[in-house]
Amino acid sequence: MTQDKKNDNATAPRIGVYICHCGGNISDHVDVDAVRRQIERMPGVAVARTNMFMCSDPGQAAIAEDLQNGTVDRVVVASCAPSLHEATFRNAIRRAGANPYIYEHVNIREQVSWVHHGETATAKAADLVAAAAAKAGLLKPLTPIRVPATRHATVIGGGVAGLSAARDLAARGIPVALVEKSSYLGGQLARLDRIAPTGERATDLVRELAGAVLEHPDIAVYTDTQVVGCDGYIGNFKLTLRRQAADALIGAQADDIPPAGIRPTGPSAAERQETALETGAIILATGFRSYQPRRGEYGFGEYAPVLTLPALIEKMARQAHQGPLLQIDGRPIRSVAMIHCVGSRQIPGIHTEDEEGRLNEYCSRTCCTATLNAADRIRREHPGTRVYELYRDIRTYGRGQEDLYEQAARNGVVFLRFEPDQEPRVTAADPDDGFALKIQVTDTLTFGETLDVPADLVVLATGMEPNDVSDLVEMMKLPVGTDRFLLEVHPKLRPVEMPVGGIFVAGTCQAPFDVGETCNAAGAAAVKAAAMLTEGHVELDPFVAEVDTARCQGNGACVEACLNPGALNLVEMQIDGQTVQRARVTPALCLGCGACVAVCPTNAIDVCGMTLRQYEAMVDAIVAGPAAAETV
Amino acid sequence: MGPAIQAKENKILVLATESCAYPGADSVGQAHSSYPANVYILRVKAPVLFPERFYLDCFAKGIAGIIVMSCGEECPYDGAYHALARRLDRVYQTMKAQEIDIRRLRLTAICTVCNRAFLNEVNQMNELVQTLISAGHA
Amino acid sequence: MDDNLNRNVDAIVIGGGIAGLQAALDLADQGFSVAVIEKDASVGGKMIRLSKVFPTLDCASCITTPKMAAAAHHERITLYTYCDLKSLQRVDGSVRADVIQRPRYVDAQKCIGCRKCEFTCPVMVADQEQGGFSPTKAIAIPFSNAIPQIAVLDPEHCMLCGRCERVCPTQAVDYFQKPRPFTVTARTAVITTGFEMTGMTDKPQYGRGTIPNLIDALQMERLLAPHGPYNRVLRPSDGKAPDSIAYIQCAGSRDISMGLSYCSRVCCMYAIKQAMLLSGSLPLADITIYYMDIRAFGKGYEQFFQNAQAMGINFVRAKVAAVEAGPDGSVRLHYEAQDGEGVTTSDHDLAVLSLGLIPAWHPDGICTLATGTDRFIEVLRPKLAPVQTSMAGVFTAGAASGPKDIVDTITEAGNAAMAAGRYLAAQPGSTPRPAETRADIEATVHIDG
Repeated sequence: MTQDKKNDNATAPRIGVYICHCGGNISDHVDVDAVRRQIERMPGVAVARTNMFMCSDPGQAAIAEDLQNGTVDRVVVASCAPSLHEATFRNAIRRAGANPYIYEHVNIREQVSWVHHGETATAKAADLVAAAAAKAGLLKPLTPIRVPATRHATVIGGGVAGLSAARDLAARGIPVALVEKSSYLGGQLARLDRIAPTGERATDLVRELAGAVLEHPDIAVYTDTQVVGCDGYIGNFKLTLRRQAADALIGAQADDIPPAGIRPTGPSAAERQETALETGAIILATGFRSYQPRRGEYGFGEYAPVLTLPALIEKMARQAHQGPLLQIDGRPIRSVAMIHCVGSRQIPGIHTEDEEGRLNEYCSRTCCTATLNAADRIRREHPGTRVYELYRDIRTYGRGQEDLYEQAARNGVVFLRFEPDQEPRVTAADPDDGFALKIQVTDTLTFGETLDVPADLVVLATGMEPNDVSDLVEMMKLPVGTDRFLLEVHPKLRPVEMPVGGIFVAGTCQAPFDVGETCNAAGAAAVKAAAMLTEGHVELDPFVAEVDTARCQGNGACVEACLNPGALNLVEMQIDGQTVQRARVTPALCLGCGACVAVCPTNAIDVCGMTLRQYEAMVDAIVAGPAAAETV
Repeated sequence: MGPAIQAKENKILVLATESCAYPGADSVGQAHSSYPANVYILRVKAPVLFPERFYLDCFAKGIAGIIVMSCGEECPYDGAYHALARRLDRVYQTMKAQEIDIRRLRLTAICTVCNRAFLNEVNQMNELVQTLISAGHA
Repeated sequence: MDDNLNRNVDAIVIGGGIAGLQAALDLADQGFSVAVIEKDASVGGKMIRLSKVFPTLDCASCITTPKMAAAAHHERITLYTYCDLKSLQRVDGSVRADVIQRPRYVDAQKCIGCRKCEFTCPVMVADQEQGGFSPTKAIAIPFSNAIPQIAVLDPEHCMLCGRCERVCPTQAVDYFQKPRPFTVTARTAVITTGFEMTGMTDKPQYGRGTIPNLIDALQMERLLAPHGPYNRVLRPSDGKAPDSIAYIQCAGSRDISMGLSYCSRVCCMYAIKQAMLLSGSLPLADITIYYMDIRAFGKGYEQFFQNAQAMGINFVRAKVAAVEAGPDGSVRLHYEAQDGEGVTTSDHDLAVLSLGLIPAWHPDGICTLATGTDRFIEVLRPKLAPVQTSMAGVFTAGAASGPKDIVDTITEAGNAAMAAGRYLAAQPGSTPRPAETRADIEATVHIDG
């Protein structure tokens, strides 16, 4: 009988509705056959069937058969939650040779039979199936969007993160451009000496990574180069690189100059002043700079023996002085005080903002271990030098770091703990004391006693600040957190992604990390870029906005409402000999959220697969139910 | 007078986001917690898709109440939640102008395991709808 | 049904927690085929059992479920759940995993996850998924958002009454199911075996698990979870809503007397997070965290800690020396206060031990992977290759190689997938393959037919 009432119009949809018993899970509460009888009479419904288990092979075969013999060209299955079997039925439709997007799923188990009982359950199930059939009648076949992607990635920044990401991508057969602003590779790591807790030499690590990058035939290294232009979208970026004057040479050797890093000696990849680069993905690895204390902060800039930790590490690396006392700048150091959390963990109301009104409220993560490492080394190599650590909390969280903390304590490092609102005060010592400086500290480890620590040297454990990348932020529309580091989409769901598709973030431009954590971040960013570029194209869901140019009046409301800048633009086009403005979607950038749909005054834009008209049809069917829909 | 709620027209529409509220409703089903059968859940990618008139049309068609169950601040589309909230503010103003009880439209955030919050929302809306029906108008 | 579970894939992932799922997804998205071997009946690991996660306070289920579902639906990923790894060896350039799937006593191919068996079963057992606070049945779906949704029968408690077998609409209950040995061969492996908490009974000074209302942090996660055992926070002994709650930090970490000298890295943050959630659900309760150092080192963590202080959560710097049962079900703490008052005691209605993290799995007798003195898997080059183990072509990520929070775990899992991908790409004749025809394996069957 279903064949009899088939619409004469050959283009009218022929909807097949399949209702599952779920072995009683649905049919114990919903009169499945009554639903079938009601739905069968709805206009557009060519066939309505029931099955004990629609997800079983016979259930799926019934759909395939109806599709293959032309009985139906739209499919509705009423069964369990779509999270369980929507993909199953779409795949069954695809296997039957039909377009999987002519499918609508109805959830009559989790949202009907398990929560309602008796006649109301049957009535609601029938309404929901009618709504799905109404939507199915308006469904169009869709094709996933394929955006060709340039099999090439660009890494910005030549520190550990950038080197590591470039090496990883090249190892996966993806050509890489590595762009570094300075003349050197190695970034901040090159300034360090032996790193905790493994004791490896930083320069060895830099040499190994930079060597692998420079040797790789698929990596083009652009030193002394900046990215000055960025256009395009995921898979298809166009970058403009500009070469600048090389940094002044430091030291005599040109290829390996700690603490600056490795200077590539071969010809630079950039032959011209400006290079245009087509690239499929961008990894930002722009790194950090060390916090520079204000003049007067713990005596910095006022007293010569007040140094930052990086400065101390550089000085210690350059001199191989042996002896019971540490020597810095030729002065013997009998006592050194190291103050933690300088430029980190700043608290509004307690700490002073910088000239731009900013505080670094975050923890810089690496300074506790770096400070302990330096302190322990001084105690081991120069047992005559006393070492005091003035700290708030010791954060030796990582593997082997707590051991270093214990070792430093065993080796005689003295720990004093202060509260943030009772910061240590560094002043010149009385000439009679024989020391250059004294540090007054209220120590909570000795029940709040105030002590004067004599010191020949004060070391400030300065934290990390992100490098200034405001030019890239502007150019690539990158989000920045209140801490001024680049802000990922979500720390757990998409930790290395920027909201702009195809742009990733790696290393200390995102947050303070140590070397191992930076390599992890670089690998995580590289794997996302590799996955995206492996196939030579990016495949995206077809659920994106679509403009009906016949209706569009080019008023631009959609462009304004769009949540992903660039996904919608007004373009000029010729219609009936007239030059007019119309909205155009860039599917690769469209999120499919529908923010544009709501604001269009002429209903000229819709999201494929979930049009406003489809939702309206569903509401009509819910209000009227299948019986009424029959009479429409 | 705005559209009155007729005795038979007690249907409540839930616009549930596919990443949060819709699986949340499934979780209620897995727990076999019962709620009124006049609650109809539509799965949406982001409720920011619906224009103001969609809500007003629903009321005109006879929908008794609408609950927008979004992901709230966890919305996967940056900025969508605030655009949605601003839009619903305008819907409320029109509802007031048309003398439709503004309690018939609710914006809320429901996550994948918010079983109790989901039940509270639909039960409260149902009580409201029943009260308005027995009072004979909205 | 395919009786043969044996597979040949590009990569084996041992452990289906958040690290394993992320590594599997990142490998599969590069075009490699992956088999995930999970010991529990559901993937999702520790993370799916949490309430909300720091520092964003978003719901753990909402973050984990999409990754679980993505892995379950991925055409290149096969999930094997309820499996024990018997051996992992390198054989002729490949990696061979011998695995035994334990019997669920439910046919995974037939079960449709409808829970009729669970509703019918007359045997109540303490639900370990709810911290042991509420009952489940001797046959049940492990928990509401488990993947796959397949019931598991607990043979220790089942009375063989036969009711589940009779009520099952698909005749899936099989009292005679046997363990199923199978072999997966691959060219690389990623070890993501995660962590367990140290035991409540490990430390005599903390009562060895005998003090009422002294619970562990994972139990508190369940009390705080939106679908937890009581739907609110009550103390277990008498159901009283606690007015005063204490957190005892480093209860099992940084404690040489317990043989755990290392920092467990997540306890400061989870205690602060739980304290913030508690102050939301019990606004009048006093919450005190007894700590040695607050280690809020990750992105946004320090600000989270400062917010907690601003909310009125008390932070007391003290190592709690001993805990005993106090009057009226309270928990009495003895500690040395830093304010000079000497040894002090305080009573709380409920106390939480912030237990440390230990490896959930040890390679002894299974493979030759080296471990450190802390018993976690050794990585040979923690700086430049933090995911490379002592076995060639075998990588690791997450808490398997030392305690790690979720953010660091997910990032490290990405790097492990990168390293494994590089290893695969360097093998002769290796190009990522397009998806093979979908194998009808137990774990995927319920999801994809």
